[in-house]
Amino acid sequence: MTISAPLSAPVFAILLSLAAGERHGYAMMKDARQPEGGGVSMGPGTLYGTLNRLMEEGLVIESGYSDDQRRRYYRLTETGGVALGAELERMRAALEAATRLGLLPEGEPA
Amino acid sequence: MSDLPNPAVPPGTRALLHAYAVALFLYPPRFRSQHAAQMRIALRDALADPDLARPRLLTTLLHDLSYSVFQENLTMLKESLSRPILLFNALMLAALSTVLALAFYSIPQQVLRQDANDPQLELAGNAALSLAAGNPVHRVIATPAEERVNVAESLSPFLIAYDEQGHVLASSAQLGGQLPAPPPGVFAYARTHGEERVTWQPRNGVRLATVIRHVAGPQGGFVLAGRNMREVEAREAQMGQMARALWLAMLGIVAAGTFLFAWIRSQPSVAHP
Repeated sequence: MTISAPLSAPVFAILLSLAAGERHGYAMMKDARQPEGGGVSMGPGTLYGTLNRLMEEGLVIESGYSDDQRRRYYRLTETGGVALGAELERMRAALEAATRLGLLPEGEPA
Repeated sequence: MSDLPNPAVPPGTRALLHAYAVALFLYPPRFRSQHAAQMRIALRDALADPDLARPRLLTTLLHDLSYSVFQENLTMLKESLSRPILLFNALMLAALSTVLALAFYSIPQQVLRQDANDPQLELAGNAALSLAAGNPVHRVIATPAEERVNVAESLSPFLIAYDEQGHVLASSAQLGGQLPAPPPGVFAYARTHGEERVTWQPRNGVRLATVIRHVAGPQGGFVLAGRNMREVEAREAQMGQMARALWLAMLGIVAAGTFLFAWIRSQPSVAHP
């Protein structure tokens, strides 16, 4: 599977969560659930299936750190950061277009 | 965005974790061996999260299981099936099935078609010998006009005698009250080779298995023996249907076998949930 724009909701939420730093599985699920994190209710199957594909594509790697609860941590790669940036840029363009069309109040996207 | 503590696990939570561990067997073995432990930890963390309502978690979990189990098994199957050797074997087996199904149809079809000529071969041979021996044509074919076989309806064999120029001398057949005209070129071939066997369609929907024999001797001419092929073609159609069913069944077995083989080959040598 190739990760390409536009990113799926789970992919976007995971990349966004990892943009803030290393995360373990449940921390990513919790971030994704927040409205500012994508608002995606993800279970462990979707999370690790998506992580699998993100790691195959080189967007995410295991950080190598494991805490005393044996949780594995993950972090964004440079490629992952580029993919996230491209997606955010695409979203910003869409929001600007929506604002110009009067669908959003002025200044909302910022 | 937090790491959660690991509180003492209450019995309800433990049962749920146990049920989830069992459900993890629905995932492909390789996926399970890579992620099952972390998935259980993630669920344990979710169950310990006071901000996450249990009904919402259970709904998410059920949706997640049904979707991701399907997704991961499909991904595993795609990866396994995309192996060139597996694809090559499946294609070869499908080709072999196609050849076998074609043989299952075409060999009996040819036998049926050849058998359809047997009465005509005997009739035409006997009539040609009789005419060559000098017997008058109206004694060899002594059918009155009103008793002629309607070749469109009847399955009975019939005889038509022609002179060397192809004019009808006597006939035991009719088609719509007329004498059916033989296909062009058959007399020339029979004159050269002694005999010709053709499927003759004097009109749409009427197909006849015919044998044309050249008559030797001073009287000369030709004898045509024929028979309606309706019954033979009905059997051929039946054979065709059986061959098609056999072909589809064999392709189904090849597909099922390929999927099964792909699934077996995807099992890791060591797999622990």
